[in-house]
Amino acid sequence: MTRGTSIVVTHRLLILPVLAFATPALAAPDIELGRYLARECMTCHRSATATSTIPNIFGMAAATMTDVVKAYRDKKLSNDVMQGVAGRLKDDEIEALAAYFEQTRQP
Amino acid sequence: MTKLTRRSFTTLAGAAMVPLFAPAVIGQAKPRVIVIGGGPGGGTVARYVNRDTKGAVHVTLVEPNKTFSTCFFSNLYVGGYRDLKSITHNYEKVAKEGVNVVHDTVSAIDRDKKLVHLGGSVRAPYDRLVVAPGIDLKWDSVPGYSEKASETMPHAWKAGPQTELLVNKLNALNDGATIVMVAPPNPYRCPPGPYERVSMFAHVLKTKGHTRSKIVVIDPKPTFSKQALFQEGWEKHYPGVIEWQDPKMHGGLKGIDASTGEVKTDLANYKADLANIIPAQMAGKIARDANLVDASGWCPIDPENMKSKVDPNIFVVGDACIPGDMPKSAFSANSQAKVAAMIIGGELGNARTFPARYSNTCWSLIETDDNVKVGGTYEPGEGKLKAVNTFISQKGEGEDLRKTNYKESQDWYASIVSDVFG
Repeated sequence: MTRGTSIVVTHRLLILPVLAFATPALAAPDIELGRYLARECMTCHRSATATSTIPNIFGMAAATMTDVVKAYRDKKLSNDVMQGVAGRLKDDEIEALAAYFEQTRQP
Repeated sequence: MTKLTRRSFTTLAGAAMVPLFAPAVIGQAKPRVIVIGGGPGGGTVARYVNRDTKGAVHVTLVEPNKTFSTCFFSNLYVGGYRDLKSITHNYEKVAKEGVNVVHDTVSAIDRDKKLVHLGGSVRAPYDRLVVAPGIDLKWDSVPGYSEKASETMPHAWKAGPQTELLVNKLNALNDGATIVMVAPPNPYRCPPGPYERVSMFAHVLKTKGHTRSKIVVIDPKPTFSKQALFQEGWEKHYPGVIEWQDPKMHGGLKGIDASTGEVKTDLANYKADLANIIPAQMAGKIARDANLVDASGWCPIDPENMKSKVDPNIFVVGDACIPGDMPKSAFSANSQAKVAAMIIGGELGNARTFPARYSNTCWSLIETDDNVKVGGTYEPGEGKLKAVNTFISQKGEGEDLRKTNYKESQDWYASIVSDVFG
């Protein structure tokens, strides 16, 4: 993710709490599904650090990850690998993945 | 031959990793998984089954060597971007996590009795077996080539001493040298690999200021992976240095002579100062001996779960399998291994299972900071691992993107080896 991309995502996050209040309660994310889906991420993200090109996603806020992954799925963020991975994720899978990474500090 | 029980196998073969008070009594024993081969496929399965089942399944990883040099990124060693040590890993962390790591060779698989025979007359029972032996080379696919000939004309398609030999020969060349590569026919390990290697040869020649040397590639294929990208890069970075010949050009490979360094085609005879011969390939010997291969020489698998199509108690992951659209790569092996581990966890550990999904990306370095990639996602379909979507770098991309690709590849390497070896 480029620096420019990070800024876009940060701005987008500002409206998320408002949306959360406006959305009816949904089923809790399926953490176990998220854990399974996360295996695909580990191949590239397992050793990521703050300075690596592939970002560290462990402990990332679920709302942030949901937003970023959907942006890749919608091709609003550019990276062929991420667009491919995100491209086949349904909304509930993205939420499961995001919930898993939010609560996982180490691989 | 000494026949060992489950308990004695645990005690003798894995004493260092298994607590002496482990209740491995027949009838009460934990389910057993044996993984043959400690590469990106086998290593990943072993670690993920061990972690997923939290000790409820006894996992043994059988790998002859105490260290593993990755074939992926070995071209960067050829190009001088890495040393061999940086692509060589061990199994200490895997063992510390609780996997029973046994450095031995599996001499046979008794599928009826669900036993593997190890060197030293040990027989080990399994409930599920994972076969991940990688590739063997078809020496006779190149007339005149042999394991002995590879000592002077290295293949370097299994990383380690062969790669060292190739690097030493490359670095000893004088200006005006002729390098000849014989590329392999499909399917083979790492489709873009030969062409990345050619790029690394050219990079080394350029770095040394050798302007009169040339590289000839004798290819049995009419096209190759990332062809447009490589050829664009060769023209940009190494104009006039690399001559790639398809079968129409060279007319067929007649053979090699290791004693004279000759590579002979219908078109010409080349006196190679360095010959890199990469022959046709097939699944590793243990897979062939166990009759897990079909007429292609590779192991057919069920794309839903990575099980062998000929034995539901055996999984085949990595280069030894023939998975349909998915290429043979470390990334693929790692991805396939995670599906196999998930299924094994479900069958032996009552863990929840999910629909199989797979992915792959292959990065290739053409010249410093000029890196291209190809990849895709795959799912079961039409009886194979079917590509869901694919991507490839584009010609004429900006330098910043290609440089980012290179950094991305470095980060990927650090992550995948951590995923495989801990």
